[in-house]
Amino acid sequence: MRIAIADDSTLFRSGLVLLLEASGAQVAVQASSGAELIARLFRSGPRPDAVILDLRMPPTFTGEGIAVATEIRARDPGIGILVLSTFAEASYASQLMDALGYGVGYLLKDTVTDAGHLVSQLERIVAGETILDPTIVRRLLQRKRSASTIESLNPREREVLARMAEGRSNVGIAQDLHLSPRTVEAHVTSVFGKLGLEQTDTDNNRIRAVLAFLRSAGDRR
Amino acid sequence: MEGDDGTVALRSDLHQESLAVPPEPGALAGGPEPDGVRQPARRSRPPRFYLLAAAALAALGCLDTLAQFPLWRQAPALATANLVMSLAFILTGLLLRQERGQRGVAWALILAGVFRSLDFIDAWNTGPWPVYAVVFGGIDRVFGAYAVLRYPRPALGRLERIFVLTLTGWMVLSRSLVVVTTTATSAGYPASSWWPTITANERLSGVLAVIQDAGDGVVVVVLVVLLVRRLVETRGLDRIVIAPVIAAGLAAAAATVVSAVAQAFSTISVGPTGAYVAESVVDVLLPVAFLVAVIQRGLLARNLTGLSAQVAAGADLGQIRHALRETLHDPTLEVLPPTALPPTARPGPRADSRLVEVIRTDAGAPIAVVIADAALARYRGLFDAAVRTSGLALRNAQLQAEAARAELDSVRASRARIVAAALAERRRLERDLHDGAQQRLLGLAARLTVAMSRTSDPEATAAFAGARTELGQVLAELRDLAHGIHPATLVQGGLAAALEEVAERLPLAIDLDVAPGRGPAEVEAAAYFAACEALTNTVKHARASQASVVVRMTASHLEMEVTDDGAGGADPAGNGLANLMDRVGAVDGEAIIDSPPARGTRLWVRIPCG
Repeated sequence: MRIAIADDSTLFRSGLVLLLEASGAQVAVQASSGAELIARLFRSGPRPDAVILDLRMPPTFTGEGIAVATEIRARDPGIGILVLSTFAEASYASQLMDALGYGVGYLLKDTVTDAGHLVSQLERIVAGETILDPTIVRRLLQRKRSASTIESLNPREREVLARMAEGRSNVGIAQDLHLSPRTVEAHVTSVFGKLGLEQTDTDNNRIRAVLAFLRSAGDRR
Repeated sequence: MEGDDGTVALRSDLHQESLAVPPEPGALAGGPEPDGVRQPARRSRPPRFYLLAAAALAALGCLDTLAQFPLWRQAPALATANLVMSLAFILTGLLLRQERGQRGVAWALILAGVFRSLDFIDAWNTGPWPVYAVVFGGIDRVFGAYAVLRYPRPALGRLERIFVLTLTGWMVLSRSLVVVTTTATSAGYPASSWWPTITANERLSGVLAVIQDAGDGVVVVVLVVLLVRRLVETRGLDRIVIAPVIAAGLAAAAATVVSAVAQAFSTISVGPTGAYVAESVVDVLLPVAFLVAVIQRGLLARNLTGLSAQVAAGADLGQIRHALRETLHDPTLEVLPPTALPPTARPGPRADSRLVEVIRTDAGAPIAVVIADAALARYRGLFDAAVRTSGLALRNAQLQAEAARAELDSVRASRARIVAAALAERRRLERDLHDGAQQRLLGLAARLTVAMSRTSDPEATAAFAGARTELGQVLAELRDLAHGIHPATLVQGGLAAALEEVAERLPLAIDLDVAPGRGPAEVEAAAYFAACEALTNTVKHARASQASVVVRMTASHLEMEVTDDGAGGADPAGNGLANLMDRVGAVDGEAIIDSPPARGTRLWVRIPCG
């Protein structure tokens, strides 16, 4: 797998490169800013399968990563995009997923210490899946809500909901929870029914719907 | 005499449009005179005045001496009294000519003195003098009455004018009638005197004499009534000034009655000559009273000490009004802000005209409007000086206020700079931690992972794993530290994102309704920390089941409301909430905490944007 990286911290970037190469991936481009990455990415030669972007980069050190991701997606929809951040914020994740829709992931930088895990997540993104860091999902689910409909879910259904929010497909959820895909499908239907969400056709749309629900659930009465 | 130049000058004062023109120095004393002689001020009266006065007094002394020449031998006391009184009248009249608008009164007093000196011309006992003395002997009283009734106004009232005219007619007519019905001898003069007898009828002349006495009595009563009425109706400074004049007028009226009674019953011990002397002595009170009044007007005109003391330490309009009312003895006086100038107060030809003066800044901008009794135009010097003093006080107060405002502005500006600098410093610290230390540690964690994957030694693996766990904790602590200094979410995502993050972390159901727009960084930061403080309080103390945060944003303001359904009773002076108030106050915002026991807590914050 060919990968391009943009991160302004040389130390973190080199650590990441070491980790990825140790896991068998090939880092084709390294840049210290989004602009530099885009310039080098579309110059010539083979495009990478995926890019890894820091959320906060020069020159503004604000949500750069999301803007760069949007531009790359617009210029080459075939490149998977992973945004890394030290902020576990659902609002950024939502923004990113709303902007890109598929083949995108939002992970915390802490999780990259697990080399095998990082590469497998990248593979899923390249395959078109959408991934959300479990820390964010966990926090959203832990969030106290007044009279929340989430209370009406049984523990198994909550496990299923959490994995849906992370972007797992039914098959993936079945593997994670050691259930049959049919059982998972039944749980998913039940969760959607209880939460009052409409069944969506793709997993990518599903994660966005669940995320939107979780972010706003506290505000509904 | 009513239409003399004093009256005209006064009216033009009342309707003067350029109200803020500084009054001319000595405006009280010096009015323009028809002959072009100008007396600018009492203090600097030119020698010409004294020459004139001395000449007039000398001329009158001669006239008086000559007119009553035989009397000096027959009744020296009476002659002396007459001379003194005539001179006193003339002197007072001359002095009064210096007062603006009082030339009519001055002339009346001078004429009273002149005619007074002719009253005893019948002492010559020859020619037309006895007839003259009988017919015109009382004419000085007419002038006296005129002066007493008018002073210090520009003209007589309607009733008073009728009275004076009637009095003049009565004096001449009633005495003429007596003369034409008597002979010189029956009237007590030598037969050689010229006497215009038409019919010498003793019964008729007796009746006419009784009628004359009765008429004189009525005249005196009416005069007394008019004088008392004048005193009662006059207000303010005028009253203080005319009181001695009215008193002297009343005394003179009483003396006239006594003198008439003495004449009628000349058997009483005093005798007619004694009565004349007594009357003259009492009549001297009149010019003396006028002198007192003139001096008093002069003193009043300079008495600004009270006003100066009252407004010395700066003043507002209310204090100025109080001080001016006291100084000018005008309880109707008003001091209004320039915007409140009522249309009725604008200068114009109206009977109820009020005296209007505008106090202005040095640059000419109006500060206040003084509206006073029109009668104060007679005390123009005092009025102008008082207004000028008030203007100084007001301008001083305004300057002080401006200085205070400038100081406040500079304190505000420096506070805003401090707030901005502190905010920038926090953001820089947070970014250094996040982009420096944290990224390096994350890179280190990645390298540890790589190293760990390259060794198969179980001990080394365990050591690497331990180091990685430790590193994870360091990272978490560092992240919390950076977040506490200044949440990056606030910078990047604004209040909505930052408060969402807060809500995610707190173990409490929090409804968020936050406007998505962005405000100035200082405003967002103040609102964010206020909300955090309030929510932390709610979690710690309120035992609330839920809380809500509502943020509204307009072009000019950010308005935030944080409520919970908890125990209430939060102490606004407590550390956290006082800190909150300070933070909001530092960006010129306001914060209100409403926390009744057992009824939840509500924090309302409003911060100007810009």
